[in-house]
Amino acid sequence: MSRISDMLPRHFGPYGGRYVPEMLVPALEELEQGYLKYKDDPEFTAELTDLYQNYCGRPTPLYYAENLTRELGGCKIYLKLEGLAHTGAHKINNALGQALLAKRLGKTKVIAETGAGQHGLASATVAARFGLECKVFMGEVDVRRQYPNVYAMKLLGAEVVPVTDGTRTLKDAVNATLKYWIQNLKNTHYILGSALGPFPYPVMVRDFQSVIGREARAQIMEREGRLPSHLVACVGGGSNSIGLFHPFLNDPGIRFHGAEAGGRGPAIGDNAARFGGSPKIGIVQGYKSYFLQDESGQLQNTHSVSAGLDYAGVGPELAWLYDQNIVEFSPITDVKALDAFKRMTRLEGIIPALESSHAVARAIELAPTLPKDEIMIVNISGRGDKDIFITAMELDRENWIAFLENEVRHGK
Amino acid sequence: MENNIDRALADAAGIQLMTHVVAGYPNLDVNADLIRLMALRGVKLIEIQIPFTDPLADGPTIMRANQAALDQGVTPRHCFELCAALSRELPEVAFLFMTYANIPFAMGQGAFMAKARQSGASGLILPDLSWDESDGDYAGAAREHGLHPVMVISPDTQSPRLDAILSRASGLLYTTLKVGITGAGASLDQTGVDYVRNLKKKAGLPIAAGFGISSPEHVRMLDGLADVAVIGSHIINLMDTSGLGAVDEFLAACGE
Repeated sequence: MSRISDMLPRHFGPYGGRYVPEMLVPALEELEQGYLKYKDDPEFTAELTDLYQNYCGRPTPLYYAENLTRELGGCKIYLKLEGLAHTGAHKINNALGQALLAKRLGKTKVIAETGAGQHGLASATVAARFGLECKVFMGEVDVRRQYPNVYAMKLLGAEVVPVTDGTRTLKDAVNATLKYWIQNLKNTHYILGSALGPFPYPVMVRDFQSVIGREARAQIMEREGRLPSHLVACVGGGSNSIGLFHPFLNDPGIRFHGAEAGGRGPAIGDNAARFGGSPKIGIVQGYKSYFLQDESGQLQNTHSVSAGLDYAGVGPELAWLYDQNIVEFSPITDVKALDAFKRMTRLEGIIPALESSHAVARAIELAPTLPKDEIMIVNISGRGDKDIFITAMELDRENWIAFLENEVRHGK
Repeated sequence: MENNIDRALADAAGIQLMTHVVAGYPNLDVNADLIRLMALRGVKLIEIQIPFTDPLADGPTIMRANQAALDQGVTPRHCFELCAALSRELPEVAFLFMTYANIPFAMGQGAFMAKARQSGASGLILPDLSWDESDGDYAGAAREHGLHPVMVISPDTQSPRLDAILSRASGLLYTTLKVGITGAGASLDQTGVDYVRNLKKKAGLPIAAGFGISSPEHVRMLDGLADVAVIGSHIINLMDTSGLGAVDEFLAACGE
């Protein structure tokens, strides 16, 4: 074991690690060494920065939500608009970084899992850009509810593989992708989409996503000359939240808020609130963290109106930050998220993703309780176009069904 | 340490079979019949898989069997009871519990091992409980409970990791092999053959090899190379499509 590998944290407190079948270890070691070699390499970082600016449209704006602030009557609310990044969400930050790394490691194929389809879309996009073959594994349930993204991935040249095992959602897509990887290690890189899974993914994905927090920090200092006191983000696996939070973790006096999927309510199987009841630690999908599971250790079914938050585990660094009372998690129900979705759209002319609407809902709860001179940054991790089939069905059902029927009848 | 794995392999003539059942698939009663049938056909090593929602190292057949078992409400307790009953009935068979890290973790590793031993098991196969994690280094604790830690490797497993694994493994070492398909029959790829040869010299342990064995020919190809041939999903496929009789015929042919 080379000494240099001590520079990448393998564990966060007791969490994280690399719990995988031995046959996966050589690939993860290769990735670890590759990431160590290139992460601070000037050419690598220059290329990534150039792509962030000229391909992704970074830096994304930090927008002062004046109307929302006025209506809630509390602290000043700023929105980090990751939905304005290329492909419509923060996922591209990580996909680009990993694709550049895959190229340098001599890989010709990339594979990815996806829940809402945003990470799959980002992976298919970078694969098209870099001439890599791409397969995206997606739970059958998610394929059905996020078809617009499936279509876009196919358009970009990716093969979308529906996963029919288990609950047929994100966690099963992760299993399927890991298994495919085990069988195709030599020329394939797995672009894991969240800050979880076996080491080195949690630290690598966090680093690539930290561009969100670094930009937000510089932008708020320029606008306000001081740091925010509250940061809010939604948490599925946790990549947009750790990306926003991480560059602020050493600053004193900041509160970090994670909005989890409260789903239909607190009953088992109705939500994806890992920190909701009595959080339980487990070892699943290559890492140790909190997982929604029964007393035998079987993962529980999850539900959320937003596919991207519908996941039973959470990134190990967030688990450790929870233990230390640095990040506070709150469940946001489907109903509250949809309300926040409507409010943000009407008040600011910004249509947030359903995932991000959970963060907005948490901000709406918090802001009125905070003094006017305090600042809050809410991560709008994605834009809501992709959710049109869900939101329209919830908010404009009859007209939407009439439209769909008409399309089917006359579409040919 | 008195252990059925050692006994099964010490007086072995030729290659032995290690078969696999997913506890609760298709149900616990059929599991018992299947295990009896295996023992009658001379199988001395039987893996009982405790079903798990996210079986990372299993292919589609065994994964679906896991899910079907869980859908019927099978818990680790049922698996221990199955093993306890069958190990009393078949005292010469070495039973091994195979499952994933979260099952012993949820129960507490010590409690899990104690229960496994009490139910008559002789070994554990826990593919994702990595020995290089502090709480994954379970080999010594397993031996204290009278259980062999049967570790799973592949031809990509080389020094220094292989040495670390060999220093922990006991009873049996399980490696996967690659198969090249040539014409009508399958043949072992040379890298895999060389790997097992070297491993046998180096390990000083019986070697089990698995690579999707699905014919008696495959078993014979391994004879003289490995000590044990592992037959997993093929038995489930046979049982699903043609019933226990087909499993019986297959095992009989493997023994010829």
